Amino acid sequence: MTIFAVVVSRLSKAILTLLAIAILNFFLIHAAPGDPAVVLAGEAGAADEQMIEQLRERFGLDQPLYVQLGKYVAGIVQLDLGYSFRQGAPVAELIADRLPATLLLTLTAFVVSLVLGIAFGVAAAARVGKPSDTVLTTMALLFYATPLYWLALMAVLVFSVWFGWLPGFGYETVGANYTGLERVLDIGSHLILPALTLGLFFTAVYMRMARASMLEVSQLDFVKTAKAKGLSDAVIRRRHILRNAILPVVTLAGLQAGQLVGGAVLTETVFAWPGIGRLMFESLAARDYNTILGVFLVSAAMVILFNIVTDIVYRIVDPRIGARS
Amino acid sequence: MKYLKVTTFLIAAALASPVAAQEAGGRLDIVVQPEPPGLMLGLVQNGPTQLVAGDIYESLLRYDSDLNPMPSLAKSWEISDDGLTYTFKLNEGVKWHDGEDFTADDVVFSADVFLRETHARLRASLAYVKSITAPDPMTVVFKLKEPFGPFINAFENGTMPIVPKHIYEGTDFANNPANATPIGTGPFKFKEWVKGSHIHLVKNEDYYVDGLPYLDEVFYRVIPDAAARAVAFETGEVDVLPGGSVENWDIPRLAEMDGVCVTEKGWEFLAPLAWMWLNNREGPTANEKFRQAVMYAMDREFMRDVVWNGFGKVATGPIASSTNFYSDDVTIYDHNPDKAKELLAEMGYDGEPVRILPLPYGETWQRWAEAVRQNLSEVGINAEIDSSDVAGWNEKTSQWDYDMAFTYLYQYGDPALGVSRNYTADRIKKGSPWNNVEGYENLALDEKWAAAATMVTPEEREAAYAEIQKEIVDDVPVAWMQELTFPTIYRCNVNDLVTTAIGINDGPRNAWIKK
Amino acid sequence: MWKRFRSNMGAMIGVVLLISVIVIALIAPLIFSDGPWQMVQRPFLAPFAVDGLPLGTDTLGRNVAAQLAYGARVSLLVGLVSTVVALLIGVPLGALAGFYGGYVDEGAMRFTEFFQTIPNFALAIVLVAIFEPTLTSITIAIAIVSWPPVARLVRAEVMSVRTREFVDAARLAGLSKPRILIQQVLPNTVSPIIVMASLMVATAILLESSLSFLGLGDPNSMSWGYMIGAARTVIRTSWWLSFFPGIAIVITVLALNLIGEGLNDAFNPHLSRKGKA
Repeated sequence: MTIFAVVVSRLSKAILTLLAIAILNFFLIHAAPGDPAVVLAGEAGAADEQMIEQLRERFGLDQPLYVQLGKYVAGIVQLDLGYSFRQGAPVAELIADRLPATLLLTLTAFVVSLVLGIAFGVAAAARVGKPSDTVLTTMALLFYATPLYWLALMAVLVFSVWFGWLPGFGYETVGANYTGLERVLDIGSHLILPALTLGLFFTAVYMRMARASMLEVSQLDFVKTAKAKGLSDAVIRRRHILRNAILPVVTLAGLQAGQLVGGAVLTETVFAWPGIGRLMFESLAARDYNTILGVFLVSAAMVILFNIVTDIVYRIVDPRIGARS
Repeated sequence: MKYLKVTTFLIAAALASPVAAQEAGGRLDIVVQPEPPGLMLGLVQNGPTQLVAGDIYESLLRYDSDLNPMPSLAKSWEISDDGLTYTFKLNEGVKWHDGEDFTADDVVFSADVFLRETHARLRASLAYVKSITAPDPMTVVFKLKEPFGPFINAFENGTMPIVPKHIYEGTDFANNPANATPIGTGPFKFKEWVKGSHIHLVKNEDYYVDGLPYLDEVFYRVIPDAAARAVAFETGEVDVLPGGSVENWDIPRLAEMDGVCVTEKGWEFLAPLAWMWLNNREGPTANEKFRQAVMYAMDREFMRDVVWNGFGKVATGPIASSTNFYSDDVTIYDHNPDKAKELLAEMGYDGEPVRILPLPYGETWQRWAEAVRQNLSEVGINAEIDSSDVAGWNEKTSQWDYDMAFTYLYQYGDPALGVSRNYTADRIKKGSPWNNVEGYENLALDEKWAAAATMVTPEEREAAYAEIQKEIVDDVPVAWMQELTFPTIYRCNVNDLVTTAIGINDGPRNAWIKK
Repeated sequence: MWKRFRSNMGAMIGVVLLISVIVIALIAPLIFSDGPWQMVQRPFLAPFAVDGLPLGTDTLGRNVAAQLAYGARVSLLVGLVSTVVALLIGVPLGALAGFYGGYVDEGAMRFTEFFQTIPNFALAIVLVAIFEPTLTSITIAIAIVSWPPVARLVRAEVMSVRTREFVDAARLAGLSKPRILIQQVLPNTVSPIIVMASLMVATAILLESSLSFLGLGDPNSMSWGYMIGAARTVIRTSWWLSFFPGIAIVITVLALNLIGEGLNDAFNPHLSRKGKA
């Protein structure tokens, strides 16, 4: 199959999955107690029956559930995610506003943790059993066991409060009106702590994968053959083991994307990072149905996208896969 | 009493603080939390909207910290002796931010058409109004059906914001595209709103009071995390933390910083009073002795000192001490566990569990509920905390599915506006999380509330409310907890920020920064 | 096998740590008979500032040591029960898919994939919010987001076992398919399931604490995540309030991971010294 055909088939499957998720979420969230009209009227500080009825009518909440669902799904098909009652704006717009921040955070964390994880994993595998391997694997285990949000808090405490090296919250210095390089550096300095705390857990995960994968591949026949041919260890590692060992790590990393997006909710909360994770948590409290559904859909789409991308990368790096399937 | 017989006032607002040397210029960064759902004050009146839009829109009057009316859009006003006719003379030369002239027609349109449709709380006061007319472009006359003492308090900005007729007449108010770029008459104009980040207002150069405002621009900063807001203040990124924007235990630390001032003023008009609704319909809370036991079981001084870090005042009854017609001649419930146990024994409490529903507004409220649960368990009441988010809280209270539920409501300066609505039987309405949620029915008292609202002289009203307070406090329809104070934290070089009964909501109008 | 496990130092450290946590959880009511909510002293006392309060007091003047001990109960309970529930969903589903193949497999795997596509922490948040946070709803929500890997693992194991000779022999002996599955195939998949389960308990503890941290914990049970969440706003003045519960979580989760790895090595001797992917 060509890469194009792969993408088409994966995308068509993805669309069906997303539609199913939309329907499921719709029913889940409508099963929850809490009427958005009541919440909204309450927030206005002076709810009465008339106002609540007006709001219900305005948002179509007075219609039967299946009509609401039908309208919602029909909208989704046209890429219309509905209207946010709470924020008075189209959901697609709200998410579009926040998505870049989340993408920046998750992608940075993803790349950093993948690179670091593989590097450490390979290093540990090369020194298997030696003290440096023990130190690295123990570190990985520790980070693996540390709650992300707690690590984030401690990072703020140490690097932002005690040392004052890095900003402890936010996306950029508000009102500074930086442009060009200054702005990039400003956002970058805000990004360091959240991306690192989110990335450390996954670094640990990828490192363990990479190390195990390296060791497994090194016991395969072709490696033994190479050794028999008298090639040096370093050459064998570079030429034969590395590529074969890294591929499964990349695939598994793609599958972990869901966790990464979930972790972003916590990270965004601690660091006041204005992304969709934060948006979802805020909308949940107000039962802003459409926004929650929208964020769900978009994050599921992000997970699927991560998977497809890693799949493509995999095929480019290792053309044999395409031939096999 | 703080009531003042109002006849005619002619004070130039600029003279309110006669200190010389106000310096013009500068920028003020104020925290707004949470991000407002919209800025069109006629449509949305929640706290954050009032905070920001209070600079953009104006009403006819402002109020000083003793709740005396001051000029705003109206330069003078007159109430007839029978209390039925309110005549307002408007300021001349007032322009909307888009350059159109402001006239009496805008006021009539706002009060009679726009707000009648969109503003539930004002609608209750407008029920007393027979007609609103504009005999000339600079005069507005409100005629009432019967005297309504608190009516003079209805001209506050969050209660009756004046909106531009030329933009809204004949449109679908809620969906008017102009809502995104609010046009008012206030001292600041809307410039930009970056969602999730900040709202930027700039000085209205054509403001009708000479010299005002002093500030060039105001930024309302959205920082969704209490700890982050504290840091933002410390690092100098923001200048003002409005009440409630940081956790109470952070306040002493911030207040100790150099050049930082704290004031508890600016909440006199709203006078938030916190209580627990006790479900009067069923369960142990239906029993008056149980409700009294709850009052004696609680160490409300401790809660004020520890949970609220010493801010606020233990409540004595339904009316806050800063509201007109407050009386302290009532039964005082001190912390008396033995008395509570006695009452429980008398009623034969059998250990039936009661659920406490905290207000889902952050750590302070959660801790408060935990302290109450602990106090109750010490006298043998089997209490547990029901967890809820904002939506769940609204649903449970409006559907009466609770035993004890925390809440707090504003009093709007007068018992007839903000207090009686919580206790009279005609305000028992399922489906609304406001008003008489506890289900207290006392028809004899209902008549007294109604009579007190329409008495003409303040002396009569004072006597009537004193009687009501004495009686209702013995019934304990709800467990009054505390008069809340939300201290405002700001840099001391910001002057004249909190000068009125609504504090920061219209504070930037007169504020100036000493360089 | 036990010998191999015992000789694994990491695993033994894990066992010792876990047993300590379990003991603390069990005897908490004996040491701290007033419970974790009792207000005992002034708030914000630093560790060792007052005798008998080695870890200080929290925002309401409650004993942090008592809160930690009671928190262990919640963490362990939720971790254990939710793992059992997840196994009850994942094992049968995976076993059926792997054993019967065809449409059953296709259907079960589509279903599993569907759940894997939704970011699981986000789903857990929504489920807990909908059912309202109680120990039960939290446990169920965690189970619902953690079963898919179990189903995949069991499916893969069953698929590899069902082609073995002893299964063919059982089939020839005329045993019914369900009996073959239950009596012959499943017992051979137990060891990887045990390894996975020990790691799942660890993940569940982390999930529970994350939910509590966001305010989606049971308000009537003291838990570590709740302690950290409640102390978040005072981290600058009272760092110990969020520090100690964090350490408690790290120790418990680490112990479970060490045990899981030890078990894995013990079950798969030829893979030992290689770590786990």
